[in-house]
Amino acid sequence: MNISRFWASYRVRLPLSLSVSAILTAFCLALALGGQTLVNLREDQGRNASMLAHAWAEMLIQALRNEDVWLAYALLRGPEGAEAGEAVWILVDAAGRVFASNRPRRYRLDQPLNEALPWLPATVEPDRIEPLARANGVDQAEAQRLLRLPLFSDGTPVGELIALLSDTPYLPRFREILVGGVLVTVGVLALLLPLGWLWGRRLVAPLTQLSGCMSRVGKEDPRRLHCTLPGDDSEIGQLGRQFAAMVAALAEQEALKDQMLQSERLAAVGRVAAGVAHEVNNPLGGMLMAIDAYRCAQPLDARTARLLDLLERALRQIQDSVSALLVEARADPRPLTGRDLDDVRTLAQPRLAKSGVRLIWHNAFDVATTLPATPVRQLLLNLLLNAIEAARDGGAVRVRLLSEGDRLRLWVRNRGRPIPPDQLAHLFEPYPAVRPHARGLGLWICYQIVSQLGGVIEVASEGELTTFQVSLPLDRPVA
Amino acid sequence: MTLNRRRFIRHLVATTLGAAWPVLGASPVRFGVTAVMLDDRVGFLNDWAAWLGARLGRPVVFVQRARYREILDLLLGGQLDLAWICGYPYVQHQDALELIAVPSFQGQPLYRAYVIAAAEGGVQSFEELAGRLFAWADPDSNSGYLYPRSHLAGLGRDPDHFFRRTFFTWGHPRSVVAVAEGLADGAAVDGYVWETLARRDPALTGQTQIILRSPLFGFPPIVAARDLPAADRTRLREILIGQAGDAAGRALLAELNLDGFVTAEPALFTDIAAMARQLGRSG
Repeated sequence: MNISRFWASYRVRLPLSLSVSAILTAFCLALALGGQTLVNLREDQGRNASMLAHAWAEMLIQALRNEDVWLAYALLRGPEGAEAGEAVWILVDAAGRVFASNRPRRYRLDQPLNEALPWLPATVEPDRIEPLARANGVDQAEAQRLLRLPLFSDGTPVGELIALLSDTPYLPRFREILVGGVLVTVGVLALLLPLGWLWGRRLVAPLTQLSGCMSRVGKEDPRRLHCTLPGDDSEIGQLGRQFAAMVAALAEQEALKDQMLQSERLAAVGRVAAGVAHEVNNPLGGMLMAIDAYRCAQPLDARTARLLDLLERALRQIQDSVSALLVEARADPRPLTGRDLDDVRTLAQPRLAKSGVRLIWHNAFDVATTLPATPVRQLLLNLLLNAIEAARDGGAVRVRLLSEGDRLRLWVRNRGRPIPPDQLAHLFEPYPAVRPHARGLGLWICYQIVSQLGGVIEVASEGELTTFQVSLPLDRPVA
Repeated sequence: MTLNRRRFIRHLVATTLGAAWPVLGASPVRFGVTAVMLDDRVGFLNDWAAWLGARLGRPVVFVQRARYREILDLLLGGQLDLAWICGYPYVQHQDALELIAVPSFQGQPLYRAYVIAAAEGGVQSFEELAGRLFAWADPDSNSGYLYPRSHLAGLGRDPDHFFRRTFFTWGHPRSVVAVAEGLADGAAVDGYVWETLARRDPALTGQTQIILRSPLFGFPPIVAARDLPAADRTRLREILIGQAGDAAGRALLAELNLDGFVTAEPALFTDIAAMARQLGRSG
């Protein structure tokens, strides 16, 4: 399988598209969750900072008034200790100098505020969380949002509490969300990939069957095209059924074509045979009459008499052979009865006894018919003798006779050598090349009789079972 | 670890003195403690109070205040029977107070003041702290206020202008924290407290270094108000002096990182008195 076909296969594309959609979904989910979490966390952070600032205000004012650096520091530092905590807190005294901070190494006691935070916007609405612009040299890792709470004692400003808020503390949480998303995706993929592979295979299997079968159409005889096709209710199943119907139609057409070819050929052969017979019969009759006349006209010496006998016998043999080709089914007007058919059984008894073949006879024919007795008897006898000959020793021949609607139906079946398909096509021709040992006119005569009686003869060979089936109209069409 | 030791001490106190619990209803002895010791350990103080009370036959109640001054005021005002205070306020109010006992630390009733700086701040000597941030412990502390000022004065520097800015932390352990966390560049602390902290929380003291050790001074004493009856004073002195001879008492002393309590004369604190006089703050 080359690369482009590999990627074109649904077996690959299906699990792949499943995986891609799973990854996309997980990615979008993680992004949406992360974004929402960030918004929530920022809101919480701002709210908490504001609440904390207000809660601390009174103590911080006291600390500023009493110059109690430790008290202010202990408050801002909180239980988490210095350099910890999510927000940076800076308490500024009335002179604009740092009084305390929970980042004591960075924001030193007495440090001027404009030196500690040179980028601090001059005008900021108090007690509001203000986003900080990226410009002005703000360290975004340190501060993305700002809260300024001026502290008043008795209406006089005593200082200010500043909170610097940033997303930095949330980055680990973000990472957790992302890693979680990736892990979930990997887990889902571990499940989806084999599932998708299996699903793809299941989906593609009927298509592969179908395409495999289609590729044989046109190369093989549609009648022998046996494929397993999808037959479920899906679209592919419908396709499979339609394809099967198409193949069946093709096979039927093919069979019809063969049949037509065969009948045309046999008809042509029949015409040639009849023509030849007539052409031969006329001079033959003249020659025989000439021999007779010669015999009566004068006494013959022994040598001449022997010569004439030889001539006559040879001419008679030619006459026999030619009339054998000329089947005259309509010669005998006596109508057929069930007994006529049973006679055939009696006639075949000597051959049956000699060959050791068992005959299973089932005659259910008991209706009146205009079919002539003699040709039908000859037809049945020929088929029966053929079957006995083809059946192996100890084998059986089964004959069934019955009337079905307005037709006489006749089956002769034997178990024996199978007939190859190429022989079946020429079975009814006179002197078939593939059967050099047979006399060669039995089935030709059968075919001629059936044709002249307006019926149909078919042969089927399935394995060792060979069946001749004849269907004749009970009322002969008036010719 | 600490909890197990605490349980062990309680067990000792309960078993050895089970029959001698303080009489209920008797007026308690009020014992004030200051930041000269690690006064944040309420559980330990309860155990010690139980031990003392059982010996005394009266309940003992420890009283704590944020600043030395407050304990001293309570003691001088007669609201405390005895208190563990610094040598500096003792020499200032020697007339109104009587020495009961002095703790013995590392074999003698003496201790030092330490000046500390951040372990990795680049400051190696006291002089380098000039113009920097400095934390005092308490204005009534010898080691955390009097001694460093006296030392500066001895160097001919003005203690009020030597540093850029100073502030009080109101406790030696807080001063250690202030230096460790970078709030102050240096601090003066009680050497005994620093050493005891170094055993309890070496990670904290490890962030600081001692850049100056003072000479030995009299250890912060346990003193009684003059109003306390002589019998009580004697009894309390006997109990404290005898604490090292008792198993449970020894366990409590080990918690305090002390060897025991000894008797002492006021002369033990003459150096502190001299410094106080030198800085013109002697009472």
